[in-house]
Amino acid sequence: MKDSFGTVTVKATMLVIAALLLFAPFLFQDIRALEVAARICIFIVLVASFDLLIGYTGIVSFAHTMFFGFGAYGSAIALKQMGPGWDAVAAGTIAGIAVSLVVATAIGLVSLRVKAIFFAMITLAAASVVLVLASQLSQVTGGEDGITYRTPELFKTATKLAVDEDGKVLRWFGVKLNGKLAAYYFVFATSLLLFLLMLRITVSPFGTVLKAIRENEARAEAIGYRVVAYRTFVFCLSAVVASLAGSVYAIWLKYTGPDTALSFAIMIDILLMVVIGGMGTMWGAVIGAVLMVMAQYYLRDLMGAASEAVASVGVPFLPELLAPDRWLLWLGVIFILLVYFFPRGIAGTLMAKGIRK
Amino acid sequence: MPSPSLSTRNLTIRFGGHVAVNAVTCDFHAGETTVIVGPNGAGKTTYFNLVSGQLSASSGSVIKGKSDITRLSPAARARSGIGRAFQLTNLFPQLSVLENIRLAVQVRAGAGWGLLRSAAALTHLRDKAQHYLDAAQLGAKAAMPAAALPHGDQRKLEVALLMAMEPDIYMFDEPTAGMSLDQAPAILELIATIKADPTKTVLLVEHKMDVVRALADRIIVLHNGELLADGAPAEVMDSQIVRDVYLGTATEETA
Repeated sequence: MKDSFGTVTVKATMLVIAALLLFAPFLFQDIRALEVAARICIFIVLVASFDLLIGYTGIVSFAHTMFFGFGAYGSAIALKQMGPGWDAVAAGTIAGIAVSLVVATAIGLVSLRVKAIFFAMITLAAASVVLVLASQLSQVTGGEDGITYRTPELFKTATKLAVDEDGKVLRWFGVKLNGKLAAYYFVFATSLLLFLLMLRITVSPFGTVLKAIRENEARAEAIGYRVVAYRTFVFCLSAVVASLAGSVYAIWLKYTGPDTALSFAIMIDILLMVVIGGMGTMWGAVIGAVLMVMAQYYLRDLMGAASEAVASVGVPFLPELLAPDRWLLWLGVIFILLVYFFPRGIAGTLMAKGIRK
Repeated sequence: MPSPSLSTRNLTIRFGGHVAVNAVTCDFHAGETTVIVGPNGAGKTTYFNLVSGQLSASSGSVIKGKSDITRLSPAARARSGIGRAFQLTNLFPQLSVLENIRLAVQVRAGAGWGLLRSAAALTHLRDKAQHYLDAAQLGAKAAMPAAALPHGDQRKLEVALLMAMEPDIYMFDEPTAGMSLDQAPAILELIATIKADPTKTVLLVEHKMDVVRALADRIIVLHNGELLADGAPAEVMDSQIVRDVYLGTATEETA
């Protein structure tokens, strides 16, 4: 089957984004840009794993950041308590996965039989409980302040991956080959691996069953699929992936707190990313995560520049409207326009257009 | 007579005070096509739902072969070999026609839990799905989303989906409902090919008398949830009791 124009556009965009992320440390040589690139990698995985639930299977969950938080806090607590070693990374990651699996299985078995709205409420309740617990158990979790810790030697900025003849850190195309670079590629490689894994799952026979459950649950049951088992399994699967993403992000940030790993603001970000990108397509997760993270980091700068530019020309009123402090207003306007013009998300709408014509 | 492939024993379901299916005891045999007739509201579809598991019985039992399946889920009954098609088109609308069929092939092959293989690379699943599509003359439309098919083709897909499940018991609920006269024969031919296989049991709910005459080996009549008549087509159609039931409804409908 030949790909439609829309599908080709989306896939070409994917290649460009993959290339930009792969060469990010060399293309954008400042600390903030690298933060953005790493965050994009992590959020692609997080949003894609959420899309397995909401877009592929039609399960609405508000507990996705909770699983992300289990992974992040798992690594953070282990690194804090056991010291900055690989054993701590392994122990923390595995503990995060274990907790995620237990909680996801419990929620799944208890409540995936009930109506979607009740399931959503139960996940919301569970996530709230965990958020409160994280802030109350401050001896372990650091409460509202979170935890700072050191990560393995390899990821320290001072670590030299290679040295020149003077004993200084070697540079490639002006980029220091130090621990920061290693940490970025750790994030990039694990994210890529997890994303490819999910991509494969979506085109597998199992992936078709998920879509069948979304499309017509009763019929899926009637042809012989145990819908509750499939739902519980995919809920656990996406929880484990979110947990892994959380662990990796904790290692990258060297800090874990409610705002980076557990808050409902992150849950809302994930929801927006999946809606903007397009539900039920893995490419949508990529587009949504890239656009949203970029907007969060750069929209304010862009508006500042625009405001000054308009002011210097002498246009009245506009500079006020474009003032950087109003960035959230503009972000909102952009969302509304995106949803209006791309009702099925950017990737979803583009690819669907191709099919019709 | 050989032992029945499917039986119901005093099968009953109550909705509050209303008894929708009342103590229906009936045996079905392989190689036999039984048409279930009766006026609207007689409990035909409810009876089907009890057999295929969409509803659970208030009392009585459903026995397939030698095992009691009364308490099994619809999915478990489907895997045990009961295939059910629905009165209203009941497909996976956004999935392609081929994917619809592949879902049924997959369940039969036990491949639903395959996570790491690309479905496109599993040629045995695809080829088998394509085979059933070709049998239903839908081969050329394999890549279209099911929702984009015209109504007649959706009904064909429904039958193809059932065939791809390769059940022992086929249950059709008004397979030609809403179809134009020139489309119906294609569906009836498909059912005729199933009927030709002596290992298959076919149950069919149908109103159209020409369809009943063409396919039925045996007719049972349901009325107010009760089994009213059971026998060879000619005998049942001529019986006074059936005439009363049908004429009765006819007068009610005109009134």
